[in-house]
Amino acid sequence: VLVVSDLISKSAVPTVKPQQFLESPARDFILNLECDYRYMKIGYYVSLYAETLQDPVIPTCNNILDAYRTPVLLLRAKKKGIPTPPFVLTNSTKEIIYELGFPLVVFPSNPFSSDGYRIVYSQGGLYKALKSFGINYNYPVCAEALLGEVRSVKCIFGEVNHPDAADIGLKFYEEFGIPICKLYIQTMGKECFLCSVSPLKTVEIHRKDIQRIKEKLKELAQTIG
Amino acid sequence: LVKIACYVESYNFSDPREMQALLKFKKTAEKMNHEFDFLWKQNLGDIPHYNSLFIRATTDPLYTAYIVSKIGWENGLKVLDTPHSIKVCSNKIHMYRLLERNNIPLIPTMILTKEQLHHRFIEEAFKKLGCPLVVKAPYTSFSKYVEKVRCETSFRNVCKRFFRKSDIVVLQKFVPTLFDWRVGVLNEEILYVCRYVMPKGKWKHGMKLRGKSKFIWGRTTSISRYAAPEKLKEVALKACKAIGNNDLFGVDIKEVDGHYYVVEVNDNPSIYSGYEDAKDKDIYQKIIEALTD
Repeated sequence: VLVVSDLISKSAVPTVKPQQFLESPARDFILNLECDYRYMKIGYYVSLYAETLQDPVIPTCNNILDAYRTPVLLLRAKKKGIPTPPFVLTNSTKEIIYELGFPLVVFPSNPFSSDGYRIVYSQGGLYKALKSFGINYNYPVCAEALLGEVRSVKCIFGEVNHPDAADIGLKFYEEFGIPICKLYIQTMGKECFLCSVSPLKTVEIHRKDIQRIKEKLKELAQTIG
Repeated sequence: LVKIACYVESYNFSDPREMQALLKFKKTAEKMNHEFDFLWKQNLGDIPHYNSLFIRATTDPLYTAYIVSKIGWENGLKVLDTPHSIKVCSNKIHMYRLLERNNIPLIPTMILTKEQLHHRFIEEAFKKLGCPLVVKAPYTSFSKYVEKVRCETSFRNVCKRFFRKSDIVVLQKFVPTLFDWRVGVLNEEILYVCRYVMPKGKWKHGMKLRGKSKFIWGRTTSISRYAAPEKLKEVALKACKAIGNNDLFGVDIKEVDGHYYVVEVNDNPSIYSGYEDAKDKDIYQKIIEALTD
């Protein structure tokens, strides 16, 4: 296993920086550890490079693309048995109101708003959300039924910092293999629903998270050893 | 009866030749006793009600067309363009790496990351590829985001602009030709062959006039697929195979001294009435057949 990462320089497993990896003819199992895997960012290109060398890699380009596009994420998550709220992909307010009613939580599906959501209680609020997240109605939005409280949790190798979302975190990691990200969830009592995924900003990664990552790599090294 | 959804956006109807082509698709499908509906952003929830999905809006993993293709694919529809083709062809880095690995004849190409943008690398690039050279953003389409540079200053300026969206860009040898071949391929068969002629005094098929915002395009001349050079067709088919699966592709090829070099493989190739279909009139029927097979 070769770890490619800008986050950690030393670990129990051989580790290289992304630039070093992109210049090497590496043939290995690649574990791509970055905060940001968005399309055309270096995290994405590391996986792309590994795939074109036919090296097994975590995460794959397919999974990266799907996880960050909310409607595709929800579709695949539902198939996997991860609880998801009912959702509609459209730029029509009429259809959203007809299908879901109020209250709602709206996520962007355009490529420029990578983080954030809006809770909507009225038609006026919905128009505003569609205008801003849809960039003047040019892009559809992903409107989801608001079932409980919306919150974001860190997800590192499937482990999340919220006890009720533990199962969602593990299943999400099994399905999409994104090692580091932020999950948006809705919690309703003990019930939890997956809503969206976004990259974790570098400032959101704390020392204890790095420690967790290193421990995971140590476990991995022992398994291989 | 097969229900076909054709995903379009309003700009697909702004050029009368493209609009005519879309209407020809509809007419052909209906003649073959299939249902053909245009699908818009407002009614994406209807995708699972169809059997096949044909994407005509511009594709890119960042655009809605990718989500539409993926939703169709996940729901088991027959899809043209598949999410795989969009993923590979919309990103020139991905495409060139696959073509290179499969020994497809290519114009000499290098890849530049943000970290490599320094004097030594730039000097090496000019040495290897010659001067001027071409800088391409990975997301280039319709001749946009492809620029010719002659010195380090313009090299840096263009790269910095392209690096805003992508952490890697492509560098290519500048190979001027009077026209590029465009070979349309559908499921490993040649569909049509055209020449995309460069406008007079220009080096790209589509270019902005200096100081103006309007794009000008060169002529498109079509030749029968049976009359096209065998070697050209062979290179086009090999390039599509390298991308990896059956789909609808438009392969751009440069001919230099009787040799053929792939410039790029496009998913979702443009089909304009009177251009791509000028000689091979059956392209609509063949595409509908592929969607209903």
